[in-house]
Amino acid sequence: MITAEFLCYRNLAIDALTIKPGITTIIGPNGSGKTTFVKLCAGIAIPDSGTLLIDDAPPRETELGWVNEFPDRNILFVNVFDEIASPLRFRRTPCDEIDSNVRACADAMGITHLLKRAVRELSGGEKVLVSLAAALVHHPKVLVLDEYDSHLDARSLAKIEQGIRTSGADYVIRCTQQMDAAIHSDYLLFFDSGRITLAGTPDYVFPFLKGTAYYPVIWGCR
Amino acid sequence: MGVPMIKIILNQIHAIRDQWSLSASGTFNEGVHLVSGDVGSGKSTLALMMAELLPWSGGDIEKEEITTIMLSLQFPELHLTGLSVAEECASWGVATDKILEAIGLTEKKEASPLSLSRGELKRLHLACVLAKDYDLLLLDEPFSSLDCEEKVKLCARIGQKSKGICVIFTHEQNILPRVSRIWEIVDGTLVDCGVPPEAFSHWSHVPPLIERLMALGSKPENISLDDLREAVCRIQG
Repeated sequence: MITAEFLCYRNLAIDALTIKPGITTIIGPNGSGKTTFVKLCAGIAIPDSGTLLIDDAPPRETELGWVNEFPDRNILFVNVFDEIASPLRFRRTPCDEIDSNVRACADAMGITHLLKRAVRELSGGEKVLVSLAAALVHHPKVLVLDEYDSHLDARSLAKIEQGIRTSGADYVIRCTQQMDAAIHSDYLLFFDSGRITLAGTPDYVFPFLKGTAYYPVIWGCR
Repeated sequence: MGVPMIKIILNQIHAIRDQWSLSASGTFNEGVHLVSGDVGSGKSTLALMMAELLPWSGGDIEKEEITTIMLSLQFPELHLTGLSVAEECASWGVATDKILEAIGLTEKKEASPLSLSRGELKRLHLACVLAKDYDLLLLDEPFSSLDCEEKVKLCARIGQKSKGICVIFTHEQNILPRVSRIWEIVDGTLVDCGVPPEAFSHWSHVPPLIERLMALGSKPENISLDDLREAVCRIQG
């Protein structure tokens, strides 16, 4: 379980929260604390007070994959292969294992044709696909994705959704503004003004959002 | 003598890079146009070429009655020149206080634009872009990073434009403005799908919701949220 107790950081305050294994999607307006929360989950930020633990361990002691909402802020290396290989190289994984893992991951993301390209030449969506591959290549226990889908088309998203579900990650914590994607979650959190105002399954949460821009129109065609 | 028509005509323009290529032909008349396509298909490349910021390797572009052009890049951070939010606004020559009040960023006036959330930065950028009228307005992924409410507001703002050509390059599937023509990039070629709702039948990137509504016998008139909701209501009776 991911547990938060009396968690405070900047404008975010959560008294108590439990997240079970599975896909948890965070929705809500810009500036409501979604990015702040996922940064705490990823260990990029440390709470001002309170605790956030992943299976009783701090995020910084957990195997994590992270994708930033700014595509360019994910990239460290010049070419795509080196970027995806970097988490494995930092762990001193044997070279032949790195090669096979990078190729398998690129294949799953549909970006094998990009492996030799320079990252700076890629489109915005391609950069996100590379970042996702780099986040997944070391098979993390937790995958934290901040609006990873805001530069991707429906076909790439379908492929990635499959990649995420078969990644082996126990927990996927993701922010999105695509309510069609949010439907396919085990658990939804709606953030507003630094607080979680709704939490539960999509079937529970979405009826409360009827009449707002966050209510998926496709919900009416089920 | 009729009133001169504003338009941009692409005559077989090409972009080629290694194994990748893009070819585009077609006439964009006054109104709102949607260009869809997969990741890496060349939407941004086409936008840059239409703005004449990227050379093309063949063909030509004709512009009629177009004197002002604006390209909004998909990454708002690439537009930044001001050290503060107020400076950034001023650099666009727009009414700073009015703009910041309208987008709820007055309190962050003195903050660095790079300290804003990505959604806030996109909101700031689009407010500056849309504060002026352009004959040709090219919006590359304008909906990325915006929350659902802001996407709805942006659609309304685009819908209010009564003059000029507005071309939206996007993969957004759900919250879109009413458009006059739909285009898509397929296998390296720009394809004119036509006018909605007829365009839906041969639009390979048709959003799943529209596809579902058509399968249920309730084809929406256009692609805006209101059109989709109306089509859903028809099913529900």
